[in-house]
Amino acid sequence: MTVLARSCRGMLSTLVALLPLGLVQVGLADEHRITGEGIGAFVVEDGKVDPDTYDGYIVYTRSCMACHGPDGLGSSFAPNLIRAVERRGWENFAGTIASGREIQPGQVMPSFADDPYVMGNIPKIFSYLRARGEGGLGRGRPKIIESMQEPDAEQGEQDEDKDEAAEEASAE
Amino acid sequence: MLRETGYAVMAIGLMATTAAHANQNQLELQQNPEYWATQLGNYQGNRFSELDQINRDNVDELRAVWQFSTGVLRGHEGGPLYVGDGRLYIHTPFPNKVFALDLEDEGRVVWSYEPDQDSRVIPVMCCDTVNRGLAYADGRLFLGQADNTLIALDSETGELLWEVSNGDHTVGETNTMSPLVVHDKVLIGVSGGEYGIRGHMTAYDVETGEQVWRGYSTGPDDEVLIDPETTTMLGEPIGESDLGVSTWPEGEWERGGGAPWGWVTYDPELDLVYYGTGNPGTWNPEQRTKDGEPADNKWAITVFARDPNDGTVKWVYQKVPFDEWDYDGVNENQLIDIEYEGEQRKGLAIIDRTGFGFLLDRETGELLVAEKFAPETNWADSYDMETGRPNVNEQYSTYRQGVGVNTTDICPTAMGAKNMQPTAYSPRTGLIYAGINRICMNYEPFEAEYVAGQPYVGATLTMMPAPTQNGSMEGRMGSFIAWDPVAGETVWEIDERFAVWSGALATAGDLAFYGTLEGHVKAVDIETGEELWRFKTPSGIIGNVNTFMHEGKQYVAVLSGVGGWAGIGLAAGLENPEEGLGAVSAFSALGDYTKLGGVLTVFALPD
Repeated sequence: MTVLARSCRGMLSTLVALLPLGLVQVGLADEHRITGEGIGAFVVEDGKVDPDTYDGYIVYTRSCMACHGPDGLGSSFAPNLIRAVERRGWENFAGTIASGREIQPGQVMPSFADDPYVMGNIPKIFSYLRARGEGGLGRGRPKIIESMQEPDAEQGEQDEDKDEAAEEASAE
Repeated sequence: MLRETGYAVMAIGLMATTAAHANQNQLELQQNPEYWATQLGNYQGNRFSELDQINRDNVDELRAVWQFSTGVLRGHEGGPLYVGDGRLYIHTPFPNKVFALDLEDEGRVVWSYEPDQDSRVIPVMCCDTVNRGLAYADGRLFLGQADNTLIALDSETGELLWEVSNGDHTVGETNTMSPLVVHDKVLIGVSGGEYGIRGHMTAYDVETGEQVWRGYSTGPDDEVLIDPETTTMLGEPIGESDLGVSTWPEGEWERGGGAPWGWVTYDPELDLVYYGTGNPGTWNPEQRTKDGEPADNKWAITVFARDPNDGTVKWVYQKVPFDEWDYDGVNENQLIDIEYEGEQRKGLAIIDRTGFGFLLDRETGELLVAEKFAPETNWADSYDMETGRPNVNEQYSTYRQGVGVNTTDICPTAMGAKNMQPTAYSPRTGLIYAGINRICMNYEPFEAEYVAGQPYVGATLTMMPAPTQNGSMEGRMGSFIAWDPVAGETVWEIDERFAVWSGALATAGDLAFYGTLEGHVKAVDIETGEELWRFKTPSGIIGNVNTFMHEGKQYVAVLSGVGGWAGIGLAAGLENPEEGLGAVSAFSALGDYTKLGGVLTVFALPD
C-alpha cells in the first residue's frame, strides 16, 4: 500500500506536468477503428477497446458510477461525464477529481485526492470517457481488442489494483 | 370539532404530567383516523386509513388544492404529518429543512427550521441525501439530520429544544431514517453500510435527548443486548454466545455494517419494537469468510425484536446469512393479525429485499411463510422452513463464482425487489400493497480495503430490467402488487415503466394509492388494481402518499422530488440485455420524463 501510494503520487506529478498539453485530436484510421491520441488515448475497434480504456471502464464503474450513473450517462445525483469530458477537457476533469467541487447546498463532488486507486487511474478513466464520446463506444462492459491483449491476463482479472481502497459507492 | 377540543384538553393534561406518556400521546393520535401522526400511519406500519370520504366512486373528482415547493432539489422520501392542529409538518433532504404549513391558508409557512450541517456529510451518503421524515409526540417534532444529529423541535414555534449526536460522519455514519417515539424514548438507527460502519439502534429520552440504551447489530452479546439463554432464534434460545463476533473473520464485525436505516414498527401489546439490519460490511463475500468457508456474519440482514425500554433482544431471525448480493435486510416489518392454518396469529410480514415475502409469528419469531413475490427471483430457489435458511442457487452465488468473476443475470438487484418504499396493509382485504422493483444485475466482487470514512464496497454492479413473463409489460422495471401474506401469492399486479419507489396507502374508501418515478400519483381499486385516477406531479415520486381529515374534509398529500437510489441507478436508463430486439422506449432514461425538485401536493374533492 505504501509503495502504491508513493507511485500514485509520482503519477500525479507526471499528470500535472502533462496538464498544459491538453487533448490531441482524434484520428480515424478506418471505418471500424477510431483512435484518440494524447492524454486519455484510446482505441475503439468494432466495439472493443485497448487495455487502458478497458481498465478505465472498471475504475469508472467502481468509483464513479454510483453518482454519475452507468456508462458515464449521468444520474439524478450527478451529471453525464461523457459530455463533461468533451466540453471541459483534461485539466478541468483531473482537477475536479483531485480537488472536488461544491456545486450548491446538497450537491457536492468529493475530492479523491486521498484515494490512490482513483488518483492513479485518472488517465484511464479519461480514456474510457473519451472512448464513449469521441470513440462512439457503446454501453456496458467492453471487450479488449484481441491483438492488444496482455499475455497471461484474463479479461476479468486485469484490474491490478485490487488491493486498494476501491471507491465504489453504492447502495442502501 | 368536538373530538379535537377533547383532544386538546387531554394533551394539555398530559404535558403537565410526565414524559412517560409520550407513547400514549402518539398512540391516541394514531388511533384517531383523522390524523396521520407517524410516518407509517400507525405503530404497526400498516399505512391504512379508515377514512372513506374519498372513495372509489368519487376519486375521479380528486384535484390538487395547493402545492408547495420545498426549494430543495434532492430526492424527497417520507411524507407530511398531520396531528390535528391545522398544520402539515414536512421535511426535506439535506440540508433537512423543516416546515410547518398552514393547511387552512394554502400552505402558508407558519415557521421553518434549517439546521447548520457540515456539507462533507453529502459525499458519504451512498444513495442520495434523502430523509424519511419527522416523528411527533407531545408537542415535539423529532428529526434525524444527515450528519447524525437528532433534534427535538417545539411543534408550535419551531424552536430547537435539544440536540444530540448519534454518530460520526467522518467515519461514514450518516442518517436517512425517520425516528420513532415509543414511551418516553425516541429510537433512531444509522446509515453507512457501504462505509464499513458498525450498525446500531439507539434510544434517547424525549425530554432531554439523553441516551438511554444502544444495541449494536454486530459484536459481543453484551453490546448487541442479546442473552443467548433467553433471546430466541426460530423459537429456540440461541444457546451459543457472541455469535456476533464468532461468525466473522477476525475483527471484521467491527466494520460489519448491519446498519438499521429502515422503518421501525412497534407492537404496544407485546411492547416490542421490530426492525431489520442492513448488509454485512463489504459486498465482497470472500472477505467475510472464516477459515475459507462462508460464515453467517451475524447479525447483519436480521430482523430484531427488542424491548423498547432497555433494548434487550427478544428474538432474532437472520434472513440472509453470508450475504453475497447486498440484500440489505432493512425492509419494514408489517405487524398484522392474521389467521394461519385455522389459528389467530400475531403476524409479522415482510416484502423483502430478497424478492421473498416472509410471514413470521411476531411473538416468537417463528418462520411461517417464505414465498417469492417477484417471480424472477433466482438467487435462491426457496427457504428451508426448518432452518430458516435460503436454498441458494449456485449459479448466482457471487462467492462460488468468485472474486474477479462477473456473475450475471442475478435477480433481484442489490436495490432489492423492494427497497425502502413502505408497503400498506388493509385489514379489510387482508392484503399487502407494495411498490416493487423488477430489475436484475451482474455482480463482480473485488477486494476492498477498509479506510475509515471511505466506501467499503468491494463489488461492481450493472443492472438490467427483469425478464418479462406472459403478458407483462416489455422492459418494465417496476410493479405495484397486491400480496396475500398468508397464502404467499400475488393477487393482482400493475406493471410500471420504472421501479415503484413510493410508499403505498390503503384506505377504507376501497382505494390503494402509490406514486411513480415519472411523477404520477395514482389511485387504484383495492380489489382489482384498476386505475381510477392519476395526477402528474412536477417530479418523480419516492415519497409516501398520506391521508388525513381536517374540518370534515379528507385530504391526500404527497411529496414529489425524484432522487434516492432509484434516481441514481435508473436515471440513465438501464442496459438492454437484448439490444436490437426492440422495446427501446421501455429502456429509456428517467430524465426523459422528470427532473429534480421537491414539491408537496395536497389533494381534496371539490366542495
